[in-house]
Amino acid sequence: MPPCIRPSNVSSSLTSCPSVSSISAIRPRSLPQPAQATREFSQSSSRQVTLRRRKFYQWLNGPGRSLKQPLPNSTNYLGAYDQYGNLVRADPRWLAKQKREGKGAKEAAETDGAKKEDEVLPEGQEADDMDMAARRLEKEEDVLNKKKDDDESDQLPPETVEDLRPFPSNRFFRSQPVLSEDLREAIYKAMTDPHRPMSLPAASVHFGVSNERIGAVYRLKHMEKEWIAQGKTLAIPYRKAVMDMLPKTPHVGDSNKRPIPHEPINDLIVHPATRQQLFVPVAESRQFTRVDAGKAFDNDLLPADDRIPHPEMVHVERDTISGMPSSERLERAKERLISQMKEKSEKEEAAKQAEKAALTKVAGRRWDFVIQDVSVESVGKDGRDYRGVGWRYGLPHEDRKKGVVKIPTSVDA
Amino acid sequence: MRKKGRFHSLKKLRPRQDWSRWSLYSISQLKPPITSPKTFFQQKWTAKSLTRAYHGEQIREKVWKRMFKRNLPAVVSMDYKYLARNDGSEQAAGRGAGAEGPKAPKNPPMTPYMQMTYYPIERRLDSAIFRSLFASSARQARQFCVHGLVKVNGKKMVYPGYMLNPGDLFQVEPSSVMYATGAPKTRSSTARRIAKEKSTARADEWNEKSKVNPPTTELIQSTNREEPTAAELKTHMQSLMKDVEDVLNEDVSAKDKQKFRGLRQQIRKSISLWKTANPETISTLDSQFDFLKNAIRARSAELEATTPTTTDAESTTLMSSEDQQKLKQAFEKLKLETEHTSEWNKRNAAAPYATPWRPRDYMSAFAFIPRYLEVNQNICAAVYLRHPVARPGLAEVPTPFHLETGQLAFNWYLRRR
Repeated sequence: MPPCIRPSNVSSSLTSCPSVSSISAIRPRSLPQPAQATREFSQSSSRQVTLRRRKFYQWLNGPGRSLKQPLPNSTNYLGAYDQYGNLVRADPRWLAKQKREGKGAKEAAETDGAKKEDEVLPEGQEADDMDMAARRLEKEEDVLNKKKDDDESDQLPPETVEDLRPFPSNRFFRSQPVLSEDLREAIYKAMTDPHRPMSLPAASVHFGVSNERIGAVYRLKHMEKEWIAQGKTLAIPYRKAVMDMLPKTPHVGDSNKRPIPHEPINDLIVHPATRQQLFVPVAESRQFTRVDAGKAFDNDLLPADDRIPHPEMVHVERDTISGMPSSERLERAKERLISQMKEKSEKEEAAKQAEKAALTKVAGRRWDFVIQDVSVESVGKDGRDYRGVGWRYGLPHEDRKKGVVKIPTSVDA
Repeated sequence: MRKKGRFHSLKKLRPRQDWSRWSLYSISQLKPPITSPKTFFQQKWTAKSLTRAYHGEQIREKVWKRMFKRNLPAVVSMDYKYLARNDGSEQAAGRGAGAEGPKAPKNPPMTPYMQMTYYPIERRLDSAIFRSLFASSARQARQFCVHGLVKVNGKKMVYPGYMLNPGDLFQVEPSSVMYATGAPKTRSSTARRIAKEKSTARADEWNEKSKVNPPTTELIQSTNREEPTAAELKTHMQSLMKDVEDVLNEDVSAKDKQKFRGLRQQIRKSISLWKTANPETISTLDSQFDFLKNAIRARSAELEATTPTTTDAESTTLMSSEDQQKLKQAFEKLKLETEHTSEWNKRNAAAPYATPWRPRDYMSAFAFIPRYLEVNQNICAAVYLRHPVARPGLAEVPTPFHLETGQLAFNWYLRRR
C-alpha cells in the first residue's frame, strides 16, 4: 500500500484559521510545532495542536513557568502565585529586579492591579498558630537586620500560610516546616553530650519537637555518622537542593534564646469512645472534672492530663501556679521522676518474678526439668500463634501457599 | 477489553502522584465539584474516580476497599498551662455550658476529617517513599521496592504494599534517589552539540580567567581528591593545621595572620569534631588555605618587584577595602566552585542522571514532607513516625482535592449508595 500523503498540518491550520497572524503573536514561543515537521509519517490522530494542548502549553509557558525552577532561598508552591503567575507576596522592587533579569517579563506589569486584590490573605485555622507566628517574627527580625546591614531590597518576604499551599484547592493542607540540618545536628549533639546527655523527653520539651521525632532524628543521625565513618557516599547535592525547597525550622544558635518550637508536643489523640455525644445527668452541686468525664465515656479512659505525651509539664505548671520557689519545684520534679522510674522497675521486677513462679522445676539426675503451663487458648484465633502448643512441634508455614498474603506485617528493628 | 486511556490526559484532567507538568497543570485547574445538575450518586462517582486516580491508582479497587476505614484518626493539641489551671469543671460553669466572659475561648477551627479518607494508603511503603521525596512518582517508588532498592529496618523489602508500622525506618539506595529526583540526561544530538559549544565557551572563559588569576585553577585541582574516610580526614586536618602554623611562623602581614588564625581555629574545632566532619568541609578548608598561601606569595612577589622596602602601614593599606573586597569575592566564588565540583557533585558520564546533579524540573512545586515522616536526606532514609492525623484546621494526608470532593469520595466508600 502506498503511504498516505496528508496535507501538512501547518497549512491546514492556516486555511482553517482566518486570523493566524494575531494568534501566533499571542501564542507562546515554545509550542511544540517543530514536532510536526519531524514526524511526517506519523499516523496518530493527535497530531494537531488541539485547543486543550494549546491551553496546556500556554499555562506552562505563562503562569507555570516560574514553577519550573526552584526559587532561591524560598519555597515555590502553586499557592504562592496568582492565576497570572505573579508571586503574590513579592515586593514590587523584587519583581522589578526579576523583570530586569528577564525572567517574568510580560506578566508582572500587566497584572499589578490583580495582585493587590489577592494580597489580602485569609488568616487563621492553624493548629500551631503560635509557633508559626513566632517563626514569622523571627524571620521578620532577620529580614530587618539584613536591611539594616546592607540595605538590599532583593530579599523576598517570608512565606505566609497561603504561600505554603502546594494544592491551592485544598485549604486544609499546607507544607509544614521540617527540621533544618543545624537543628538535627544540635538535637543529636544534645543527646550525645559526653558530660550531660539530654534524655529524650527533656530534648523534646527543650527543642519543641515531638517525642517520636526526637527518637527518629537520633536514629537517622547516628546512621549518618556511621556512614561517614565507613566512607559511604552521601547524597549531599540532593540534600542541599531539597532543603532549599522546603520550609525549615531554623536552629537558634544562641544559647540564651529559647529554641523555636517545631510542632505541638502535647497532642491528645481523639479516643474513639469520645466521638459519640453523651448525656450524663450530673448534680449541679457536683464538681464534674475531666477525670469524671473520662469515666463517663469509657471506664478505663484516663483524663487528658495523663494521656498527653508530657504530663510532667502539667505537674510543673501546677507547682508554679501554687507559688513554689524554683528550687522546690525542681526538687519535686526530681522526686516525681525518681518515683516514676522506681515504679516502672518494680513492675518489671514483679513481672519477672511472676514468670519465674509459673515455672515448675523438677530436679533430675543430671538436668532439671522445667515445666511451663500452656493454655489451649494461647494458640489464638487461627491456631498458629507461637505461644501455643503446635508451633514448636512443627506447625507448617504457609508462606508458599496459594492465596495467602505473604507480605510481612512487621519487620524487627 | 477496553483500551486504557492515557495516564496523563488533557481531555480528562486528573492529578497523578508524580512530579510531571501534566499533574501540575491539572492541580492548577482543579475546581470544587459541580453539584447542581448531577444526582448524588453521580457526584459521588465522579469524586471517587477523580480521587482514586491520585490516591493509589496502582492498587486494585477491591484491595483498597479492604483497606478503607471509616474511623478517621485525629488529634487535638493540648495546652499544658490550661490543663494545669483548670480541672475541667469550668466547662460546666455559668448556665451549664461554660462561663462567658472576656476570656471565653474562641471556637477552634474545623477538623477536616473528610480529607483523611485515603490515610491507609499513606501507610504503604511505596507512597511513603514518594512522600519523603525519594522518588518522582508513586509508580517509581513502587518500582524501587520491587527492584530491591529499599530496606525497611535494615532488611530488604520487596513488597510495595508493606504497611509501615510507627517507628519503621526505611531507606532507599542514594544513587537511585539521585536518579529519580535529578534532571534526566539528555542524549539527543542537538543537546550534545549544544553541550559541546557551551563547554568550549566555558573553556575559553576559563583560559582567559586563568591567565589573569592563576591561583584559582590550582585550587580547583586541589579539590579533586579521592573520597577519604573519617580517620584519613583527621590526619589530613592535622597536617593542614601544621602547615598553617608553619606559615604563621614565617613573616606575613598582620591581616593575613588574622585570617590564618581564623582558619587554624576552624581546623582545631574540626579536629575535635572529626567524627562529624565530612569530606566537603575539609575540601573547602583545604582550598581556603591554598588560596591564602597563593595570594600571599603573589603579593609578596609583586611587592618585591615594585618596592623592596615595605612598611607595615603600606601593607595594611594594600589589604584594605579593594583587596578585602576582592578576597571576599574570591572566597564566595571558591565556595561555589567547591560546591559544584567537589567530590560529591562532579561531572560523571557514568551516572544515569545529568551531572552535576540538579533537581528535575517542577520538583519544587511538589516538594513537601508531611509531618508523619522524619527524613534524613543525606542517607536517603526516613522514619515513619505515626499514622497521618487530622487536627483542627489541618489534615496531614496530602490530597490536591477540595474538601467537598473528599467528602463525596468518603461517602462512596461508606457503601450506602
